[in-house]
Amino acid sequence: MADLNQYLRLRLGEAIYLLPSTTTFTIEQRDNLVTNKAPEGNVAAWRAMRTERIPAYCLDALLKPVRRQNWQRAVFLDAKPQAVGLIADEVELLPRTETQVVPFVPLGLPLTRNGHLFSGAWLSGKHVALVLDPKVLITYLQSLGV
Amino acid sequence: MKPRLSARLHTLELPLQSMPLLIPSAVVAEVINPSLVTPVPFGQPWLYGVIGWRTLVVPVVSFETLIGADAPEHGTASKIVIFYPMGGRRDWEFYGLLVASEPRPQILDGSQPAAGQAELPDSPYIAAGIKLGDKVFAIPDLEAMKKTFYPV
Repeated sequence: MADLNQYLRLRLGEAIYLLPSTTTFTIEQRDNLVTNKAPEGNVAAWRAMRTERIPAYCLDALLKPVRRQNWQRAVFLDAKPQAVGLIADEVELLPRTETQVVPFVPLGLPLTRNGHLFSGAWLSGKHVALVLDPKVLITYLQSLGV
Repeated sequence: MKPRLSARLHTLELPLQSMPLLIPSAVVAEVINPSLVTPVPFGQPWLYGVIGWRTLVVPVVSFETLIGADAPEHGTASKIVIFYPMGGRRDWEFYGLLVASEPRPQILDGSQPAAGQAELPDSPYIAAGIKLGDKVFAIPDLEAMKKTFYPV
């Protein structure tokens, strides 16, 4: 469990995104997950629970679902009605004191009725990492189906 | 009695691959070389990406794509024109426009003829046009752009 003063830095392919730790998450290693062996579908793996299995999705740098085999871990976000997982190439907790997030809202219409997928940005030198809005990210992941 | 001087308006010509734009110089904060542009997933097609500028993150727009023209190819001469936030927006909401080359200053004195509708692209984002010599310049409709940029 992360404390509230942290961001989770996620590398998805060549892109870096931040996730505020205001949402509850669990990081699971691939060995603890059941990979989807069927070639079709968006789910890359499941986390088997006692009464349900929670899907995890693999996204590319532009957050489109992809199926690939070379991944090691997934971040599961606590959500209703069901948690949902996101596979990441790297996961690192960053203290907020080292992470100066500036306001940023994408121009134009938002992705979902819940709003824009991004709620800020982290400027590190010339590099920009967009800060994911956990609620909208969860809505998006839950919309990916099986 | 002194003769009344005609108003002189300092403008900037923004070279695009199609038709150049003409904007008041006062709306521009800075012209910069394109730096590392980060794409915005699920962004509008005209949202080219975001850049770090000073201490802010600034969205960069392709005007050509906004008006429905082909997406421009940008070369080494390309620049990003950073605009001040639009009226009523928050003080960090600068935005950028990708242009083909260095903007050029132009001074209007009211004698330049207006361009005809037929000489301008048919787009809600173009308010009017003006002729300078044999060149036609489009004047962007910043209010229409604002409604599209900030729809809520």
